[in-house]
Amino acid sequence: MTATPTDLHDELRRVARGLLARSGREVGGGTSPVPVDWELLASSGWLGLEVPEGLEGAGATFEEVAVVLHELGRVAASSGYLGSAVLGVGALNLLDASAARDELLAGVAAGSARVAVVVPTGDGDGAQEPSFRLEGAAGARRLSGEAGFVPDAPQVDYLLVPAGDPASTPVLVLVSPADRGLTVTDQPVLDATRRFGRVAADRVDVPEAAILRFGTEPGTAVQRLIDRGALAVACDSLGVAEAMLEATVAYAKVRRQFDRPIGSFQAVKHACADMLVALTIGRELIVAAVRSLARDDADAPVAVSMAKAYVGAAAVDVVGKAMQLHGGIGYTWESGVHAYLKRAVLNRSLFGSPRSHRRRLAGRYVATAAPGE
Amino acid sequence: MTDLDDFRATVRAWCDAHVPAGWRAAQTDVAEGEYVAFQRAWFQELRRAGYAVPHWPEEWGGGLSIAEQVVLFQELAAHDAPRLVLSFVAIHHAAATLLAAGTDEQRRRHLPAILDGEVWCQGFSEPEAGSDLASLRTTARRLGDSYVVKGQKLWASGAAHADWCLLLARTDADAPKHEGISYFLMDMRTPGIDVRPIRQATGDAHFSEIFLDDVLIPASQLVGAENDGWRVARATLGAERGLVMLELAERLGNGGLRWLVEACARPTAEGRPLDDPVVQDQLARFETEITGLRALCRRLVEAHAAGTVGGADPSIVKLAYSELLQRMMDFGADVAGLPAHTELHKPLSSGWESGTWVLDFVGSWEWTIPGGSSEIQRTIIGERGLGLPREPAVGAR
Repeated sequence: MTATPTDLHDELRRVARGLLARSGREVGGGTSPVPVDWELLASSGWLGLEVPEGLEGAGATFEEVAVVLHELGRVAASSGYLGSAVLGVGALNLLDASAARDELLAGVAAGSARVAVVVPTGDGDGAQEPSFRLEGAAGARRLSGEAGFVPDAPQVDYLLVPAGDPASTPVLVLVSPADRGLTVTDQPVLDATRRFGRVAADRVDVPEAAILRFGTEPGTAVQRLIDRGALAVACDSLGVAEAMLEATVAYAKVRRQFDRPIGSFQAVKHACADMLVALTIGRELIVAAVRSLARDDADAPVAVSMAKAYVGAAAVDVVGKAMQLHGGIGYTWESGVHAYLKRAVLNRSLFGSPRSHRRRLAGRYVATAAPGE
Repeated sequence: MTDLDDFRATVRAWCDAHVPAGWRAAQTDVAEGEYVAFQRAWFQELRRAGYAVPHWPEEWGGGLSIAEQVVLFQELAAHDAPRLVLSFVAIHHAAATLLAAGTDEQRRRHLPAILDGEVWCQGFSEPEAGSDLASLRTTARRLGDSYVVKGQKLWASGAAHADWCLLLARTDADAPKHEGISYFLMDMRTPGIDVRPIRQATGDAHFSEIFLDDVLIPASQLVGAENDGWRVARATLGAERGLVMLELAERLGNGGLRWLVEACARPTAEGRPLDDPVVQDQLARFETEITGLRALCRRLVEAHAAGTVGGADPSIVKLAYSELLQRMMDFGADVAGLPAHTELHKPLSSGWESGTWVLDFVGSWEWTIPGGSSEIQRTIIGERGLGLPREPAVGAR
């Protein structure tokens, strides 16, 4: 009998959960989170899930990447997965095939090349002008521009920078942090499990071979990468919230006050029930959006905005309730709940706030309901 | 095209040809008799197409696949077809009970009759047995080949038109409360039954009290074993929840959302509410939640078919739907403003969302209270879904 995608996902989930549990990191215990071993990510094949099989990858889809993202969220893992495997591979897969592209894809899959993609990660519809420009005559192109909150930028070998070429066509420029005129500055954030960098390019010389062309529809490439990032973060938030609900329920079963487990009190029980309802609705939105993005459906952006808006906000509610129901112990550094809370709050803002995504959804109603009708 | 696409096209064409044009206006502020006649006619229309009881087994007149049932309800919702209200208890609760626990004779007697229009109601709740249903006090005493029933039932939906009633009554007063209850099929024409309508918050009277004064029920109309009624009721209550919730969620996602956007697009002295970012944000919240709920309902229907429904799943769906419905109707009433208060009647045969916002909002408590209130659902979700400990019983130490 052929294994169904669900069976494959269950197996991947089981393996990932086991490996991440054994990678030995404890949330909260230490002063700073221990990153997931990069060798582990590479040897498990997770970095190259979406890399074609001919290039050392698994030839899988975003559906499988989503499983890994969910598991990384569950343990609030610190890793460069978002930059390399999600955005990096996603960006490279949007390009026309070339030696440079294929080499980099194979490098990412093997773990030997770490990359970050310099896409906008804040609010906004992404349709604005690229913040980087490629200027100068052919053979003497120079890259200028700057952007903040670039995921994983301080720890990479290569940066992929979407930029407008002199004809204003979006292209992807491959640069190295060591290039003259390029600076990558660490941007420390409260969520110590994530790393961000500010990337500034001041007339960086770019050889022609480093100017990579998007395949079909270059005009939508950057928005597609933003959507991919938004959904990746939503998958992470679902894992974060799921882990915190489980921790809260386990605690409420054993913590006793007034001679009974606190989970037997309706105030606690009903709060947990609300957390489960929100997670259950959120999971459906994630499943639908992941499938839609993996298949490149026309309405994928709508599904992504729904998933990001709902789960981004719900995860903060769930983790906040988890801290509340853990009581005093939940507020300690040692409990580690704070790490999940900071990650959930950061995720909510990263790649568009719930408000921003709902604005995109609402544009459809305003467009269809003409004034004066 | 797949077979399912073909089926969808068939249903669409059927809806275009058969959903009565202008039925909403025609069914607003009408006499009870007209509503009943409309319901009966619509049921027979659906029956002729094979769409009235798609969830029943084929041998009894149903037999659509789960995927086809989903498509059917999606299309009926998309075409804003009238809901089956009068026959609701019959085709869902009564049929599920008979199919799961009834005798062959009981099925042969009632299932074809339901297709011919036999109307059922449910006699479960009592004045002193609401959320704590198992504490019911109506008694059924064995007397020869019959039971003699005495007591009072409350909140029987549609009882004024019912031919038969699904009845829970206590047959063993000494047993623990869940173990002394039996399940009966009661003919509503039996002497000793007095049905009195209850006027509800909306001003309508869809529910009734039923007074039972030494009503004789033949022992052949017992469902399952004597004193096993609680188990029968629990097993069959959830059986219809998947599909019913799917239909309701589809309706909320179609007409409900569409009318809400239309209400927001109506100009007021200070412009269209739809141009207000706060309103846009709220509409997007609703659309997102309803999209997740619709997907969840499809999953629940499939889980029913596969026998993999989790203990809390129906409660999650019921709670999410009820509270979303209530918030959407609240918002509709707020946006529609004073003019909505002049709509004194809602179209009968419509869903809980009908575009008469204030009445819809008032009527939304019909979802958050009956069938296990939202508070009861949260307790079920906490205990059966998450395994949290039960509350200690009163007096226990």
